[in-house]
Amino acid sequence: MDVAQALEDLLEELAAIQKAVGKLKTASVSGQELRKRIKDAHKDWLPVAGLLETGTSVDASALQDVSSAWTAMAKLANSPSPKKQYKALLKTIISKTEGEVLHKFIKASAIQTIGDSLRRLVQPISDSELLAYLDESIRCAETNCVRASVVLAWCAVAHRVHKKLASLGITTLNAEFARMKADNGLLFRAFKKDYVFSTETDIQEAADAHLILLCRFLTYLDDTQYKHLKAALDLRNGCGHPTGYVPDPVKLQAYYADVAQLVLLNAKFV
Amino acid sequence: MLDKLKADFDEIIALVNKAPASLQETAFKMILEQWFNANASPKPVPPTSTASPAAVPPTGPSGVLDAVKPFLTANAITTEVLEKVFHPTGPGAQLLASSIPGTGKATKLVSLSLLLCVRQALESGAFTCTLKELRELAVHYDCYDSANFAATLKTNKNYYKPRAKGADLELSGPGSRRAGELIKSIAAGE
Repeated sequence: MDVAQALEDLLEELAAIQKAVGKLKTASVSGQELRKRIKDAHKDWLPVAGLLETGTSVDASALQDVSSAWTAMAKLANSPSPKKQYKALLKTIISKTEGEVLHKFIKASAIQTIGDSLRRLVQPISDSELLAYLDESIRCAETNCVRASVVLAWCAVAHRVHKKLASLGITTLNAEFARMKADNGLLFRAFKKDYVFSTETDIQEAADAHLILLCRFLTYLDDTQYKHLKAALDLRNGCGHPTGYVPDPVKLQAYYADVAQLVLLNAKFV
Repeated sequence: MLDKLKADFDEIIALVNKAPASLQETAFKMILEQWFNANASPKPVPPTSTASPAAVPPTGPSGVLDAVKPFLTANAITTEVLEKVFHPTGPGAQLLASSIPGTGKATKLVSLSLLLCVRQALESGAFTCTLKELRELAVHYDCYDSANFAATLKTNKNYYKPRAKGADLELSGPGSRRAGELIKSIAAGE
């Protein structure tokens, strides 16, 4: 059964029932036809609820709330009952099914397939160190730890950037930082930090924002690529610090596509 | 290559002059782009490490799959325009738009479905979109109206090829045209 489709069908039917109840000129819902329609909708809900109960995609208490409201409405439909009670129950069922069941289910179903999508994006990578970070990141994504996934994927990016810059040699790297500091170009004029590295590991102490700016300065990235990589770093920073922002799987996939293309699979970073 | 361009230039201009005056600039850009695609020497392939030997669909120098080019040409979409909406414009393509064109959830949902079909075409050459993917992105872009999801797609069925309930969407002729218009309007910042 396609659960999302089944829930959409149910919501469509509930909206139609809600409309029909609203149109009634009587104070109670007494017509057999409408009551049967409500009972039929309840019957359609039961197998969907059963499936959702066996999974972990939807919060159990939210599901329980919706199921209780359904049971109460089916009970109302056994005999003529006040319209007011139907209206309240229909409102609860529709809003909770949409917000707390269906939307959660869709996001969770995206999580279930995110691992495959992310693995496809990084499939051509062979560097074992990068793969260790990425594997851990993807496993986080698969368990719905999206923020952790973003941070760990950035570790792979930072590793690649550090390695590339270290390959220039410490003397050259110091000189290039000094040259960038002296540059008055639009992108670089705000950069005023003095970096003097003694060993390769010192590079890890530098801010990632400055390292990727240097990559732009050294033309490993063009302006557009730099802009997208900076946005990826901003997302990483948003996820690596206590903020209220939680990216969804769609955002994570876009982030992966960007970092893979801009750095991890970019021949200029080899 | 410059010599060949010089030799072909008069013919290109003659072709452009056949287009209505208002379209000549676009026609010139497109023909020139196609000319470069056909004549530029291919970029050296970076030494990828363990890339799987899986078949990669053919792409031009711009990275756009050959299967997508007729769509771009028919809708007067240059690579420059396409790059403002999708990044990259080949496999791994992502929709760049921060919001989807449209006034209500239904219009936005349809626009999103058309853009996703183009995104899939950039990925694989097929102008299709799964309902699962559409739902996920509709939730992301806040244009998912569950009770009217099927009805909205049904109302706009001329944009898609005939399909069974629950089946994937595939762009029809009018759908391709509308997708082209959407891409141009997003790229123009409308």
